[in-house]
This record gives sequence, structure tokens and C-alpha cells, in this order.
Amino acid sequence: MTRTAPHPDWQALVDYWLGDTDAAATEAIDEHLLRCDDCGAVFDEIVALARGVRDAFSRGLVPSALTPDLVARVKASGRRVREYAVPPGGSVHCAVAPDDELLVSRMRAPLAGVRRLDALFSFSFAPGEAQRLQDLPFDPEAGELLLAHKLAEVRRLPSHDVTLRLLSVDDAGEREIARYTFHHRAGTPPA
Amino acid sequence: MTSVDLAPADTLEGQLAVRIAAAAPGGDAAAEAQLYRLLAPRVRRYGQRHLRDDHAAEDLMQQVMAMTIEKLRAGALDEPQRVVSFVLGACRMTVMEQYRGQRRREELLERFALDVPIADVHVAPRLDHERVATCLERLPERERAVLVLSFYEDQPAEVVGRSLGLSAGNVRVIRHRGIGKLRRCVDAGRRAA
Repeated sequence: MTRTAPHPDWQALVDYWLGDTDAAATEAIDEHLLRCDDCGAVFDEIVALARGVRDAFSRGLVPSALTPDLVARVKASGRRVREYAVPPGGSVHCAVAPDDELLVSRMRAPLAGVRRLDALFSFSFAPGEAQRLQDLPFDPEAGELLLAHKLAEVRRLPSHDVTLRLLSVDDAGEREIARYTFHHRAGTPPA
Repeated sequence: MTSVDLAPADTLEGQLAVRIAAAAPGGDAAAEAQLYRLLAPRVRRYGQRHLRDDHAAEDLMQQVMAMTIEKLRAGALDEPQRVVSFVLGACRMTVMEQYRGQRRREELLERFALDVPIADVHVAPRLDHERVATCLERLPERERAVLVLSFYEDQPAEVVGRSLGLSAGNVRVIRHRGIGKLRRCVDAGRRAA
């Protein structure tokens, strides 16, 4: 008799795809997928979602907190990354080139002891309005926060200033830990 | 959780393999084509998981399937009804050889070149990246970042956790929540389209 392993659930197949299963579980799922087309279809769905995330991010469509390692690897892969680094209280002039593939702002910040980190964006073209990003993931030891922005959206914007406030949030309330200003110029940046 | 117990000879794969082995070499083209259509997508999945490259997975699929059908034609499988076990072994061996660089894929393709029809092998659909981006943007920041960091380079939880100061377990919980929401959102978009 050929005894196939039990059907792995969605979570197990995600773990399998990402290499989070141990050797025994990986072998069991390898074998199961060679016998079970229903689970194969679920696996295809996970691979399609993974590709979708990769494609969307590669096209600059996904705003997201990033890590220095990932940005370094994206650059090493030959993709065109435009980065603007700014210290606490600092400002920077910025723009986006037509062939840029990833736009990243790097804010140095005192993150030690911060439990929850929010970011509050204010735009000079929309006075009185603010956009809040809540509970951003960060490495407290890294001492900086990296954010990828939606390229297509930034390209459509006129020249303007952005003020970004980083807020530490805990049971006692919230406090500003750093503030930055980005002077965005529409059009191509100087070479 | 359920499992299936089947005698190898009761499976369609086993029956097709027995037919191919019993026929004159290349004499049952219909069985060969059907076996190819059945097993090739499964071999490709193995390649996608272990080689992390669609082209390499496609090559693996062609190599392993050609090798399998060649062996069946030659009567070189003692138990053709256990063809899936043979295919699994061939997948493992071929991937290991690729890792070791002992045999170039061109050599394998040449050695096991076959005239089996492959045009109608199932291919998993690609998703609309605009839709995926819209759904990602609806996620909380933490879930979105964990999904981007996990899937951009297919990284395990431990690696993602190390870069964010989180435990692997925590990353898996966040990832599980996030991908569940992403799946539902993308599905809803597909149904509405």
C-alpha cells in the first residue's frame, strides 16, 4: 500500500514554501505533493501570492517598512534604488528619476526602548491633514527606520515639503522621538 | 487531517506506468502523454520549492519526466506501478546533482530527450500585481512589512525575525495573519472581476 502523509494545511504549505519546515516535514510534503493534486493547487496559490508580492514590490507599488539588508540586496541585484538618509531633526532635498525602481527614506532615530513606533506624515499641499502609519516594525538596535514609498504616487506629486514625525507609543501615551523634513522637487533629480 | 491509502497499481499513475512498460518502446503514446500531464506539474512544484527558480524548475520537470518515461519504455523499472516513488527519487537525485554541479542540465536534457507532448501541462496562473499591491496596502504596517520581507526573497521566519528584532514564532504568527488576509482580498478581487 502507498500511504501518503496527511494533507498539509495552508499554514504548513506556507512554512514549506518559505523553508520553515524541518527536514522530515519537508520530505513528507515533497512526497505528498507528488501524489496529491488538490494540495498541489493550494501550493500553486501560495507560489502565485509569493510572486504577486514580489512583483508588486519590485514595481514600486508597495509602501513598506524595510531593513537595511534587504535594501542592500535589492541594490546588489542591479535594481535602481534611490535613497535619502536624514538624521533626527534634519532635512533633505529629494526627487525621483524616471528609471528609479525603489524609493527609500532612511531616518536615523533613537529607537532603544521604543515599544510601538508610529509615523505621522504632513504634506505642505494638504495643510491640516496628516497620514499616520501605525505600529511600524523596526529593529531597536539598528537605530534607523527605512520606509519604501509608492513610486508612481510620488511621481505624480507636485513639488512640496513633507514633515515626518516618529512617535513612540506606550501605555503612558505618545511622544515624538524625531522629526524630519523632505523637500520634494517634481521632476528629475540632479545626476 | 486525512490521508489516502492506495495500492500503487490502483492509482492512475501506476496504471499508466504499467501500460507504458508493457507496450513496445514508445508504443503507447496516449499513456505517455497522460502520465506526463499528470506528473509534470508535480515535478515542477518540487523544482520551484527546491531550486527557487522557475526556469530551473521547468528544466527539472523535463529532465525527470523524460528520464521516467525512458526507463518505463526500456522496462528498467522493476515495479512500474510505483512510478511516483521513482519520480520522487529522480527529483531528489537531480536537484542534489544540480547543487553539487556534477552534471550540467544540457547533458541531462540531451541524454533523456524525448518526443512526449508537453504543450498542455498545467501552469499555475500569475496574479494581477496591481491587485496584490492594493490588497497589501490594506494590511496593517507590520503584516505588510513581514510579507514583503518574507516573500520578496522567500526568506524563512528566523531570517526575517532577526532583521526586525522579532522571534521566528512571532514572525510566523504575523505572517499567517497577513497572508490569510491577502489571500481573501485577492480572491475577492478575482471573483468581482
